[in-house]
Amino acid sequence: MKKGIFFIFILISGLLEATLLDSFKVFGVKPNLLLISISLAGLYFDLKWAFVLGIFAGILKDSLGANSFGINVLLFPLWVFLIIELSKKIPIDHNLIRMILIFIIGIFNSIITRLIFFVSGGFVTSLAIFLRVTFLESLYTAAILPLMLKVIKPTIYSVNQ
Amino acid sequence: MFKFKKKSLIYVAVVCLLIFLSSLIPFLRTPVLNTLKYPFVLLTLIKREVRGIIFYHRNFVQNERLKKEIDFLRQKLNTMGEALLENTRLKETLTFKQESPYKVIAARVIGRSPDNWSSLVIIDKGRYNGIKTGMVTINYLGLVGRVIETTESTSEIMLINDPNFAVSAMVKRSRQEGLVAGTLGSSLIMRYLPREADIEASDTIITSGLTDLYPKGLLIGTVVDIGEELSGLARYAIIKPVVELSNIEEVLVIAR
Repeated sequence: MKKGIFFIFILISGLLEATLLDSFKVFGVKPNLLLISISLAGLYFDLKWAFVLGIFAGILKDSLGANSFGINVLLFPLWVFLIIELSKKIPIDHNLIRMILIFIIGIFNSIITRLIFFVSGGFVTSLAIFLRVTFLESLYTAAILPLMLKVIKPTIYSVNQ
Repeated sequence: MFKFKKKSLIYVAVVCLLIFLSSLIPFLRTPVLNTLKYPFVLLTLIKREVRGIIFYHRNFVQNERLKKEIDFLRQKLNTMGEALLENTRLKETLTFKQESPYKVIAARVIGRSPDNWSSLVIIDKGRYNGIKTGMVTINYLGLVGRVIETTESTSEIMLINDPNFAVSAMVKRSRQEGLVAGTLGSSLIMRYLPREADIEASDTIITSGLTDLYPKGLLIGTVVDIGEELSGLARYAIIKPVVELSNIEEVLVIAR
């Protein structure tokens, strides 16, 4: 049940990113809801299911986006794995720590995505655009996290009870 | 007590007589009404307040009902306004479609790129409707983008402000050629302009037809700024697209 809800949550996040979030762009940048979703999957599920959810989110993002298919399918489970490993070493209970974590992951996600795109012969984005999008997207995504937690937390807890 | 009653009765009788006379003698009507105006206003006010207190509950319920009705009507008005705007847009698209020299397929935008690294839209027409990869997309204002992927019923369109997008273009006035590319922002960049290029701010930029896919003469935008490349060997121009790419809702795909 909990997994089913999370699948729906990821699906809604993906659809929102491709539709409504365009109206909430800040300096032409919108938050990466799917990155938040898979980060939460890493916090709420065991490795196996978090991996499956990460792959699902990656497929969704790559299907809707213009990047070469597979970048997010590979990256999202990687972030899930890293979050699970990190949560074993340090407690990631506080919202602020989670926000910092999402911010760092967001930056690395952008750098790796662009590097893969560059290596695969894609257009080289100018440094100014790269820095603007990377920094703002990560910041915006981190800022949205508490709101997403407010939505998903009660649902998951109500299912557990 | 009796005296007061008698006095009052006399006053009332005089007033009634004056009212009666005023109806008979027209010239008395104005002064009488002017005199009685303030007591009338006062009485009406009292009556209204008393009625307000007596019928408080009825008014309260009525007020609630009317508030709901206002909300409903406001919503209806908004919907109708939206329908009117859509109607205007579709009319413009239809007129363009009828007047256009190209065979075009009209489609509606149903989604956008989920990431911040590309600028693309998803439309509700696909292979089934005759759309193929590489087809050019326009609207009644000018160039919108290019079809990069199709499914049976949907297609992905790379907009002209995507950094992967490039089209051979020229200045309408001087026929100076260059390459227009996207910047991910709200403007485009026209590169490879020689130092002595005849280009000015507010010049109109159109497709040159050198790129096979794009028909010649499609409107791209207007020059807003001109700068020099870091190498100093060439110049570039910043172009404001004629199409409002951030809120595009309908497009036309040119069928080859």
